[in-house]
Amino acid sequence: MRKFTYLVPKTLDEAISLHEARGERAKYIAGGTDVLVKIKEGKLAPDYLISLKHILSQDRPFLNNETGELYVGAFMTHRSIEKSPLVQLHYPILHDAVKNIGSVQIRNVATIGGNLVNAVPSADGAIPLIALDGKAHIYSAKGERTMELLRFFLGPGQCDLGRGEILTEVVIPPQRPRTGSAYMKHGRREAMELPMLGVGVLLSLEEDLNTCAQARICLGVAAPTPFRALMAEKFLVGKAINAENLAEAGRIAGDESRVRDSIRGVAWYRREMVGVLVKRMGLKALERAENKAEGGRLTV
Amino acid sequence: MQALCSVGKRIPKIDAVDKATGRAQYIQDLKLPGMLYGKILYSKYPHARIVHIDTSRAKQLPGVRAVLTGADIPEIKMGVYKDNRPLKVGKVRSYRDEVAAVAATAPHIAREALNLVEVTYEALPGIFDPEQAMQAGAPLVHEEHKTNVLKMPWKLHYGDVEAARKEAAFIVADRFTTTWVTHCCMGTSGAIAEFDPANNLTVYSNTQIPSLAQKDFLEALKAMGVQDRRVRVIKPCIGGGFGSKLDTYAYEYIAILLAYHTRRPVKVEFDRTEEFSATSTRQPTITYISQGCDKDGKLLFRDVSMILDNGAYTSWGATTPSVMMMPITSLYRVPNVRYEAKCVYTNNTYAQAMRGYGNPQATYAIESTMDMLAEAAGIDPIEFRRINANKAGDVSIQGLRITTCGLEECMAVVKDQLAWDRPKEANEGVGMASLIHVGGGARVYKSDGCGTIIKMDDFGKVDLFTGATDMGQGSDTVIAQIVAEELGLHIEDVHVIHTDTDVCPWDVGAHASRTTFVAGNAALGAAKKIKARLLELGAKQLESPLEKLILQDRQIRHREDAEKRIEIGKLLRKTHFSHAGQMLMAEYFYDPTNENMGRDFRGNMSMTYTFGTHGVRVKVDDETGKVRILNYVAAHDVGKAINPMLLEGQVYGGVMMGIGYALSEQVILEKGENMNPNFRDYKILTAKDVVPIAAPVLETYDKDGPFGAKGIGEPGCVPTAPAVANAIYDAVGVRIKDLPVTPERVLAAIRAKKGLDLCGRELSQDHPDECVIQQ
Ligand SMILES: Cc1cc2nc3c(=O)[nH]c(=O)nc-3n(C[C@H](O)[C@H](O)[C@H](O)COP(=O)(O)OP(=O)(O)OC[C@H]3O[C@@H](n4cnc5c(N)ncnc54)[C@H](O)[C@@H]3O)c2cc1C
Repeated sequence: MRKFTYLVPKTLDEAISLHEARGERAKYIAGGTDVLVKIKEGKLAPDYLISLKHILSQDRPFLNNETGELYVGAFMTHRSIEKSPLVQLHYPILHDAVKNIGSVQIRNVATIGGNLVNAVPSADGAIPLIALDGKAHIYSAKGERTMELLRFFLGPGQCDLGRGEILTEVVIPPQRPRTGSAYMKHGRREAMELPMLGVGVLLSLEEDLNTCAQARICLGVAAPTPFRALMAEKFLVGKAINAENLAEAGRIAGDESRVRDSIRGVAWYRREMVGVLVKRMGLKALERAENKAEGGRLTV
Repeated sequence: MQALCSVGKRIPKIDAVDKATGRAQYIQDLKLPGMLYGKILYSKYPHARIVHIDTSRAKQLPGVRAVLTGADIPEIKMGVYKDNRPLKVGKVRSYRDEVAAVAATAPHIAREALNLVEVTYEALPGIFDPEQAMQAGAPLVHEEHKTNVLKMPWKLHYGDVEAARKEAAFIVADRFTTTWVTHCCMGTSGAIAEFDPANNLTVYSNTQIPSLAQKDFLEALKAMGVQDRRVRVIKPCIGGGFGSKLDTYAYEYIAILLAYHTRRPVKVEFDRTEEFSATSTRQPTITYISQGCDKDGKLLFRDVSMILDNGAYTSWGATTPSVMMMPITSLYRVPNVRYEAKCVYTNNTYAQAMRGYGNPQATYAIESTMDMLAEAAGIDPIEFRRINANKAGDVSIQGLRITTCGLEECMAVVKDQLAWDRPKEANEGVGMASLIHVGGGARVYKSDGCGTIIKMDDFGKVDLFTGATDMGQGSDTVIAQIVAEELGLHIEDVHVIHTDTDVCPWDVGAHASRTTFVAGNAALGAAKKIKARLLELGAKQLESPLEKLILQDRQIRHREDAEKRIEIGKLLRKTHFSHAGQMLMAEYFYDPTNENMGRDFRGNMSMTYTFGTHGVRVKVDDETGKVRILNYVAAHDVGKAINPMLLEGQVYGGVMMGIGYALSEQVILEKGENMNPNFRDYKILTAKDVVPIAAPVLETYDKDGPFGAKGIGEPGCVPTAPAVANAIYDAVGVRIKDLPVTPERVLAAIRAKKGLDLCGRELSQDHPDECVIQQ
């Protein structure tokens, strides 16, 4: 492995100026579970690693009681998100995703921000945050900008970050009442498994607790970037949420996918699984929405 | 008989604390003064002529001490068929072919130097399918061999299969395939070679065959022109073997050659990618099998022909038919058997021994078709097997003498513990499969022996030098238990040394589930000699008749007179520090009276055979094709459990290895190239995938085994795949004939059974290609 210098800034501004001074030769590191693997494989050879782990910030997701927005800090580990009662209770789709990333050891160090910036099609963390309509907050010497997380992903391994920019958090707007959501990674093993397919479904119901008021269907590994199956979503709105309609939505989502063959799975199977899992996650989301018919603005 | 104190006890492995605390020294931890680091350059093509190799730039890199290519080294022939060389000359035949090697003062310099070696290749057409490789006009992997089919005539015919076929009331026939899987040892491969000024060679290596490796390395020295020198093989702590270390490999010879050229110790250590792509796999197979029975369900014949993808070179994988013959001829009573196997060169990776040594591949085909035949005959699968079960006293048609046999009991236990007849939910199923394996050594080499030396010190402690190899399976612990039992000592009184050919006696190797049986008997033989001397000395000291004395709790005691006793240590000191003193030492070489196979492959290969039955309950998700294992019961007749805890460990590990083989593991080769040389994409199962496993043990007490024990190292993974495949069939009515049984295969089969295409649409002439997805 190439030698590198490890820098430990304490503030965002310090991190940015350290990066600016070193340019191409520098790379941010959070948990290092992607970046160090790439260095070991010789795919990256930075002279400087700038750690983001010592920048003072919140260490678990929290709610802005004024706005009802959930703040998920980029430097938070998957484990701290997994352990958050707030997430467990009100954002089960996010809990579904982070609790199955890698292993406990990985989740103890790996961050959600690293997962998003690494931007592989199989990033487990991206799908639920997109389904929750998250906004990415990005910080640089020029100040802060925000964008829809969905549009943050440009291609496999590519995201909309300029040199030296730091993803600081993902902010999730308040959910509608009667909302339920669920995520599942489809793989071959129970742990240490990148998804062959990741499927997240979020449903908001009308007061009848049956008609779909809003649907978000977000898919990972079904295209070069995480994406939303908009046609399938549109199909569901106004319809009764049941196995039949969800199966049809799944079929449409399958058609919207741009699955391909790889050593991790064949295209036909991936597309078929989009259908099956959209249905299953939809039913799970429905059940969760019914169980929590309160929803709406949260106070914790 | 005296009650047992050590044998039969759940004693933790004696090296457990060292391993858990990181004190154990693996090859990765070893560093000799002045040591250089060797790295290997592998081929860029699966099949190509080597036109030119330019090493000049690599040699100039500061820190580089030697760069070798095939042209720089003598002709050292490796492998069972002597068709391989440490560094290739003229041609490469697979991606894992070693083209050049570098020794440098640091690993990263060696790696950098590899990038500076310039090799010009001329690509040749490759051949990757053994059935195609057998056809006329196929590219030849070894031109001088004239054909891709190895001249290894694995062929037997006992009885008259064709006549039996005519008589049979029910016949099934099918084709089964298995693919490449790999051992996944936690400790990667590695070796250090060092020459002394007189050219005596010491090799530190992860090997399961120290004595045979010593011989191989001596031959290499001879080829190098170094005559009449000594070779010493030292084993560090070994992080898993499973058969992978049963041969000597290019990297070991490369370490030797680099050390010879540099006059410095040289270490070659594999990283995980190399471990996946440059070590040998389990032998992949294509099996055509038919079996028939009469109207009462009695087996009449078994007819098997196999094609083995040999890969580009030949290691023990090509000899796995010798072990496959055992289940093919002797799993259940079969009066007429025919078997033929062809090993075929391809430009793929080459195979090696791996736990079970061909038995899992053969048993997959046999036990899948046993279920099919039971169904055809309308007999319950367990009953069908019971009708045909082997029994103690049988001599199988191959000449295997079955001395003890708990097969029927194993089936009964599985049936009971799995609640076989319990009503099932939709898509739930049960399946079972049995096994026979060598349990009393295996005479595949000219000797099946193992030596032991025991030396008693002045304090009642034992140093025991054995030829056995502990590679994690726990043989040191088991040997210590056997000796402690025999000498009335505590297990911690017995120090087992197995690491050094300079002090340890000969052994053929840690294979064939033979170590507890053979090395155990060798240790027992030496201990008996010591015991006899101790009793003699004790009789004199205690002035009692020898028959009245026992060894117990570190003492020699009179059976009836509690006053008459002496500490063994004290007795030893008295014997040592007296006029014409003596110290106690003993040696014993145990070679079982098993037989080499004859020309017709008949012969009692093993002193005894281990039997077992695995049963599994699964639930199949018929929308995703995923198979969930609800419960697993693996019952074995082990003769006697010397250490039930280690035994269970062997079974649990074997079963998980077998489930990986059945459901998920696969080295993916695309035109010979390893596409998944990492644990991310090689789907070995994880701790979280472990299923509920029960491991009931049957003790049939084999008279030839140490304290009645038979071998149990391999059986745990032998019948797993067919048991799972049979359960899937029971659950959803589809039979998967290719391993691994992936969700894709299951789902495709479920859909095909319903007359649907892959995408779940009615099969029709109009849109045959509709579900092919455009890339
Ligand atoms: C054994 C193992 C199992 C895994 N299993 C899974 C899995 O199941 N699912 C899954 O999705 N992933 C998995 N991963 C991948 C990885 O753990 C995750 O993507 C993880 O979230 C990355 O976070 P990190 O903090 O370790 O990122 P790092 O490796 O530290 O960084 C990743 C990239 O993001 C950049 N970066 C990090 N934080 C920021 C920031 N705030 N702003 C700007 N740039 C930043 C870094 O420069 C780097 O380019 C696994 C990895 C391993 C090694």
